[in-house]
Amino acid sequence: MKGFDPLQTLTSLNQSTLGGMERMIISMQDPDMGIKLRNQRLLITVIPHAMTGLDIVEWLIKKCSISDEEALHVGQLFVKYGYIYPLKEPRNLILKADDSSYRFQTPYYWMSTRWPASELDYAIYLAKKNIRKQGELIEYEKECYNALHKRINHTWDFVVMQAREQLRASKQRRKGDRIVLECQEQAYWLVNRPPVSPEHYKLTTLTKNTIAMLTPWYSLKYIGNSYHNHFYVKYCEQYQPHDPIMQGCLPSNPWITDDIMFWNMNSETVALPTKLRVERWSFSFMELLNDQMGRKEFLTYLEKEFSAENLCFWQACEDVRHGETAKIPEKVDEVYKQFLAPGASRWVNIDSKTMEKTLEGLKRPHRFVLDDAQMHIYFLMKKDSYPRYLKSELYKNLLARAIVPQETKKSVFPFMRRQRHSSPSPALATQTAEDDGKAKYSNSNSGTASRL
Amino acid sequence: MGKDECKTMLDALNKVTACYRHLVIALGSTSDSQNLREELKKTRKKAQELAVANRTKLTSLLKDKNISKDDRAEYERLWVLFTSSVELLEVDMKRSLEIGQDFPLKVPTRHLIQTGMTGSTTTVAARAMSVQNMKYEADANIDTVDLKELETEIAQVDQMMEEMEMKVQVAPWAVEAKQEAGAELKSTVSVGNSSVGVISICEEEPKETVEGETGLMKVFAGVIFTAVLLIAGILGYLVINL
Repeated sequence: MKGFDPLQTLTSLNQSTLGGMERMIISMQDPDMGIKLRNQRLLITVIPHAMTGLDIVEWLIKKCSISDEEALHVGQLFVKYGYIYPLKEPRNLILKADDSSYRFQTPYYWMSTRWPASELDYAIYLAKKNIRKQGELIEYEKECYNALHKRINHTWDFVVMQAREQLRASKQRRKGDRIVLECQEQAYWLVNRPPVSPEHYKLTTLTKNTIAMLTPWYSLKYIGNSYHNHFYVKYCEQYQPHDPIMQGCLPSNPWITDDIMFWNMNSETVALPTKLRVERWSFSFMELLNDQMGRKEFLTYLEKEFSAENLCFWQACEDVRHGETAKIPEKVDEVYKQFLAPGASRWVNIDSKTMEKTLEGLKRPHRFVLDDAQMHIYFLMKKDSYPRYLKSELYKNLLARAIVPQETKKSVFPFMRRQRHSSPSPALATQTAEDDGKAKYSNSNSGTASRL
Repeated sequence: MGKDECKTMLDALNKVTACYRHLVIALGSTSDSQNLREELKKTRKKAQELAVANRTKLTSLLKDKNISKDDRAEYERLWVLFTSSVELLEVDMKRSLEIGQDFPLKVPTRHLIQTGMTGSTTTVAARAMSVQNMKYEADANIDTVDLKELETEIAQVDQMMEEMEMKVQVAPWAVEAKQEAGAELKSTVSVGNSSVGVISICEEEPKETVEGETGLMKVFAGVIFTAVLLIAGILGYLVINL
């Protein structure tokens, strides 16, 4: 009896493009050495070619001479990549080494990267499911359906037509085959478009919206839940109400309406800040410090707490870092006299190690000599004073008093609204200058001509 | 009229594309056989004929400068439907080439994947070809011979698509679909008239419990309900009159 060697059969073909996993699946089909298959009994129908998880694991152990754990892991990969799908709980893509049933996936639906699952196919699948379930789709499927309807709206008629025809074609098969077809297709899409939880879906859609400006939509793959993604998503969520492009700009966008109220209301010297501005101070310490008004408010608070010298020291260090090189030695000297010298008027509390290092460095002052001390004070303020400031009465009062600007009403009569107009082009300005020049020249010419 | 003719031809192409996809899904599985390969070949050729006919008709309609704006918009929509159909067909053809090469039939031991599908696909192919019964007359080595033809046909379709893109200036994103979301839940009448079509009654998704019998139960319940209504009506009439 000729032994079954799939590799031999395949190497005899000129164009074998199967990967390792696929070759293994094929060797599982062998009538003698392959996996034992049973029948699946539904109430009236009997469908062959089902296997238990235990069968799969045992076959893997025997075939590859590996341990229990490894076999389970390898089997798990088969399920994860859609070569085998579970029958009892289709949404749970796990291999269990017990009597839960599994079945092989047809080669058309194998995970080959040459044929990525397309949006059009997914739309057709969802439309078919919609028809079969009379409109009762699961939540995330409904959202995908609506999103696709917007995205590929131009071929939506085709989607509907094709969905109906595909259903009609499958009605030509007998019951058992029809069930298998549906299960196969469902398994394929569960692998290629895994379901998402509602919160995660909201977050990922938010990220997608912000990234959508940078990448074309067709290259967006499903965004996984990576470590960095989590923070980026949180950042986007936090800043979205503050972004003038995403959320709009109150009272009105100056670039569009030529009305500079927005800038006036957010300038540094305004009496009452806007609510959004004050909220932003609570996002991070840097936000507070970067805003002049925020800094002033924080200073007021620190004065009450008798720790204002910290902020002043920090500001002085910033000045040294970003200021003129020639003035550095005298600035550093000033800082030492005011903040670091023993018995100074505004002595800052730095730990002894940093103090020693700084004092050493002061002998040869350069731009970054005060960095360590500044960093220490910065973190002190951030950990200690900043959270207390956010909880303080001062901040809360300001937040309550802060104004939310009204959106400027568009005037009822369209002709009264200010139209957008671009500023005059510089080319025109030079042209008029030239014209003037020419006119003067011709005037002077005619003048001389008239004199002759 | 040109429009109705177009719609009928497009419906036919759509039907054949759907059937072709159905057949390609069965490739490499236990439903695969010499017959399937022959069905694939015949369906494919029919699809290509329809595609070429559609293309000629639509390009001549779109080239006509004297059509109204509405007509032009409609033809552009039909054009987008046509290109989507041909794209689907092309992808399926490429996939069938790949799978056909990986799963030859003329080997001492076939290693077809045991997917649970065991029935034949004759009825699907008959639907595609619009005939009552399929006749099988191919040789035993159709699986290898056909693949070479398939390669040339794929090249032809690719070329046709390229030409279409170059010659016909239709912006697909400018086309608005006539159907809104959920349109498929309404009656199953398609865009035009489809030949040899069975207007289907949609079934529920089979769970691992009672199927088919739930339909009967529904009919039974409906009959009882109407009977109760009738009796109530008669009683009410009697009460009013007495």
